[in-house]
Amino acid sequence: MLSIKNLHASIDGKEILKGLSLDVKAGEVHAIMGPNGSGKSTLASVLAGREDYEVTEGEVTLDGVNLLEMAPEDRAREGVFLAFQYPIEIPGVSNINFLKTAVNEIRAYKGLPPMEAKEFLQRVKEKQKLVEFDAKLANRSLNEGFSGGEKKRNEIFQLAMLEPKLSILDETDSGLDIDALRIVANGVNTLRSQNNAFVVITHYQRLLDYIVPDYVHVLYKGKIVRSGTKELALELEEKGYDWLKQSVDAAENATI
Amino acid sequence: MITQVSSSLYQQIVANFEEGLMVGAQVPSLDTVRKDAFERFKRTGFPTTKMEDWKYTNLQPLLNESYMLEDTLPERNVGLEDAVISGLDAYRIVLVNGEYRADLSDVIAEHGVQVLPFLEAVNNPIFQKHFAQYADKTDNPLVALNTASNKGGVFISLSDGTVLSKAIQLVHIMASSETLFSQSRNLMVLSKNTKAQLVESFITSDGSAKSLSNNVSEIVVEENAQLYHYYIQVAGEQSNFLNHIEVHQKKHSLYNNYNCSFPGASFVRNNINVRLDDSAVESHLYGIVLGARKQFVDNHTIVDHSMPHCESYEWYKNIMQDEATAVFNGKIFVQLDAQKTNAFQQNNNMLIGDKAVVYSKPQLEIFADDVKCSHGCTIGQFDDDALFYLRARAIGEQQARTLLVHAFAYDVTEKFDNSAVRDYVDRLIERGLNIA
Amino acid sequence: MRKGMVLVGSNGVKKPRLKQGRGMSANNDEILKELAVEEYKYGFTTDIEMDIAKVGLSEETVRFISAKKGEPEWLLEWRLKAFRHFQKMQLPQWQNFKHPDVDFQSISYYAAPKAKPQVDSLEDVDPELLETFAKLGIPLNEQKVLAGVVAVDAVFDSVSVKTTFREKLKEQGVIFCSFGEAVKEHPELVKQYLGTVVPQTDNIYAALNAAVFSDGSFVYIPKGVHCPMELSTYFRINAQNTGQFERTLIVADEGAYVSYLEGCTAPMRDENQLHAAVVELIAMENAEIKYSTVQNWYPGDKDGKGGIYNFVTKRGICKGNNSKISWTQVETGSSITWKYPSVILKGDNSVGEFYSVALTRNHQIADTGTKMFHIGKNTRSKIISKGISAGVSQNSYRGMVQIGKGADKARNFTQCDSLLIGDRCGAHTFPYIEAKNKSAMLEHEATTSKIGEDQIFYLNQRGIDPEKAVGLIVNGYAKEVLNQLPMEFAVEAQKLLSISLEGSVG
Repeated sequence: MLSIKNLHASIDGKEILKGLSLDVKAGEVHAIMGPNGSGKSTLASVLAGREDYEVTEGEVTLDGVNLLEMAPEDRAREGVFLAFQYPIEIPGVSNINFLKTAVNEIRAYKGLPPMEAKEFLQRVKEKQKLVEFDAKLANRSLNEGFSGGEKKRNEIFQLAMLEPKLSILDETDSGLDIDALRIVANGVNTLRSQNNAFVVITHYQRLLDYIVPDYVHVLYKGKIVRSGTKELALELEEKGYDWLKQSVDAAENATI
Repeated sequence: MITQVSSSLYQQIVANFEEGLMVGAQVPSLDTVRKDAFERFKRTGFPTTKMEDWKYTNLQPLLNESYMLEDTLPERNVGLEDAVISGLDAYRIVLVNGEYRADLSDVIAEHGVQVLPFLEAVNNPIFQKHFAQYADKTDNPLVALNTASNKGGVFISLSDGTVLSKAIQLVHIMASSETLFSQSRNLMVLSKNTKAQLVESFITSDGSAKSLSNNVSEIVVEENAQLYHYYIQVAGEQSNFLNHIEVHQKKHSLYNNYNCSFPGASFVRNNINVRLDDSAVESHLYGIVLGARKQFVDNHTIVDHSMPHCESYEWYKNIMQDEATAVFNGKIFVQLDAQKTNAFQQNNNMLIGDKAVVYSKPQLEIFADDVKCSHGCTIGQFDDDALFYLRARAIGEQQARTLLVHAFAYDVTEKFDNSAVRDYVDRLIERGLNIA
Repeated sequence: MRKGMVLVGSNGVKKPRLKQGRGMSANNDEILKELAVEEYKYGFTTDIEMDIAKVGLSEETVRFISAKKGEPEWLLEWRLKAFRHFQKMQLPQWQNFKHPDVDFQSISYYAAPKAKPQVDSLEDVDPELLETFAKLGIPLNEQKVLAGVVAVDAVFDSVSVKTTFREKLKEQGVIFCSFGEAVKEHPELVKQYLGTVVPQTDNIYAALNAAVFSDGSFVYIPKGVHCPMELSTYFRINAQNTGQFERTLIVADEGAYVSYLEGCTAPMRDENQLHAAVVELIAMENAEIKYSTVQNWYPGDKDGKGGIYNFVTKRGICKGNNSKISWTQVETGSSITWKYPSVILKGDNSVGEFYSVALTRNHQIADTGTKMFHIGKNTRSKIISKGISAGVSQNSYRGMVQIGKGADKARNFTQCDSLLIGDRCGAHTFPYIEAKNKSAMLEHEATTSKIGEDQIFYLNQRGIDPEKAVGLIVNGYAKEVLNQLPMEFAVEAQKLLSISLEGSVG
């Protein structure tokens, strides 16, 4: 589904991603772990099309479609969903109105007519339950005054509403207490299917107890330096990142 | 009819007045008031940028035009479509080039309401009690000019306890075949325990020539009365406006002004002055300016607290595109005895156009100590992070920008009491955005 | 005087104190009236032989001053040009106070101690004068200054009497001397920079100053030099019927840094005295100038009689990229203060700051603020203004932030707060905000409120008397600005704020 080949990306002239490759097939969940500053969030931003980042090399396709040339909204319409690490507050834009616009934009892109108001509301109701998202919040301004947990649940609620092919969860576990984490994870697990895929970016193994990945990759210095199954995450939890860093740095020095 | 061409509007007006030609219909009871006002105007002349209140607002290019001082075709046909606000249930009163047109206006049959054209109102005791009692106390020479020489406009009065079932829509249409200077003078008196909604719309008839209007409205809100006043500027490029609203409030009264300007009229200057002349008065001034092309829109407001226990709340939002210029000058006075005053003022500006300009002067003058007053002003642009968030949710850039402008305006639009007007303004915002 | 405890204040002056437990709000007005007004402690005069120009203003006066100072021809011409312009100018009308009728003909424009004004060692200074500065707490005696952190230029009735630590500064190439000396010893520098930030035609008082200034301070920090100590000037008006017209010019060359402090006092006199100074700051690339003022001119008595008219033009230019100018002022004196220390942000990435506390009481008037002109790209400015009004005083903030067409990504943050003590005073805010570049980001906030009675009560309840409580609260309120002052000045300024408020509250 998602194919990333030799991706290089930089911000303000500084290279962050240095030749990253990754293949994600439908029905899979991939976890991307790595120490701070390894490029995890950059990867998420680049996939979603944040303009601050410049892709200098490589390619990214979603079901064969080249994402890199697309505007952020077209990537979203193609089925890329980024659950933001820090969802932004937009006072004055109502949550529900925003969501309706987004749903209908995606439908229009697929050549479908706008969703009937009744159906839309029906789905809102249904999906809200999924993440125990308070109906009152849906009528408020987008994320305005939401707690950290409410913001993250809103991200998953939107994910449920928009039904993307590929979801990228950028440190969705950060700032969540254990109950909120479980709610969010349950939501994601319910949404997993043979037709979609998830890339879960996280610093800690904790989230992976709830969202069990098929593959785990470790990102360091802008590259994937190790890939494995969920056991790799447990190993990292136990040993930390230092042993991996050392072995990578040593290999680097050896080549020099 | 007068079609004199002169080098400047000032000379033209002075000459006409002195020859007795300016006062269209001679009204003996107004003679003294008019002459006094004329002398005041003659002394000062039109405001110049040397005057603090006109620092950013240069009238000179407008004044150097040659104007007709009277409409040569006062009975012309005009189209009112541009003033239609769908879903608004309202009585319509129409002023063409500042003059009341009975043939285009609804008759308000409700009990307790009186609507008279200006020249028929001069003998009404309520009119006489209030006319030229408020606006003329300011030092705005344009008010003096209007008092001296207006002949159009409308007088609306609500007797004690009248609560109007529908809004009144006052439509100002500019429709002239030649460059025209017009003046309307309006007086609205809400007696005790009354409640009304006044929606003023400014439009321009298709193909109309250039015009400059110098309008003055005096509004009296007596004890326990409430007025919701919507002011919607959607006139065409060829129209230019100098508007002055003077509001006088009594005990327990409420006055809400919603002042909205949209792309169109090249030059708009609004003076909105609210005098909280009694205790326990509440006033709200809301404004939205969506400017485009080379528009110049200037809102000068005064909120004058002279008695204790009053509250005022002011919030203006300017969204400037292209080469448009916005001026905001909000003065809050809290006079010596106005203890326990709460006064809030906020002006937010969004600069979109490469050559857009904003001048803001939020001003507090406070002479009492037991007060809570604050003002704020911001200038900024689209929030890139918000824009990205919306786009990452499949919303196209143009629509995302529109959403963000709506969101920016929302603090003001959500305050609209009348939902039909609110929806109308939301649509005007969308229409007025030329975001590519 | 009311019955109550009489205590000795921190400055040794006896003053009435309130009985403990007295209610705050109910008797505020009463107390306000009853409390004696704290005497201005710098109100003494110094008996010293003076060389005073005869009263009046004409071209002859200008020539007289120039001749007295032994100035070169070009400077005389410069002064005359200013004077001719001054004659054509009108008094301004836009300020928020009725402009007093200043009779320019009733002032003497030159007063200097008869003893040789420039001295080589401390022994040569008139002992009376030394005593005066000692009373003012100004360390002229170099030996007594701990570790030599401050170099002082003392200006007595417009004439610099003593500049300390010159030798030490000279080692680093720093020039710190009186203006008169600078004209003689560094004419090329003076000529190059004089009037480049505040032209002699800028405004009527700047023109007057340019015509008749008698002295002032000159500072030049060479390239890359971080000035090793704070530089300081103390201004003292002493003589009667004189005006004070000093001029300060500070140039920080590329990469240089200097922190400069000025303080001022004057005797108590019944007539108003005019102080019309000009300060010009020039910061070249990567340079930084920090200018701090504690202004404590005689404010007039409790009925508004006498006091200094403090009409001052202060302006700096961030000429080079990455330069910075920071103004900090604590204004407690003068019957009328009228000044707007400004920054022209010409260099890219340059920074302008303005921190101000203005306290007015009795009949004092302050109309002060700043102007920030953003011209270069990525220029930033910050304005923090705290006004405190008591008595029947009027305190206005007036400021302008201008973002020019080419000032891409300019940023400004402004906060101006007003605190009202008593119900007969006024607090006003006149901000002018002009943005002509769409990438401008600007935020302006202002609040006006009364001093918190619950705060005062809380402190009362902890055994702190109302006066001290107000002092504490006001100092807390002004802290953000006071923190900007160099240490020893901050302490002095704190005391000054508390002392100035004594007698203003119940």
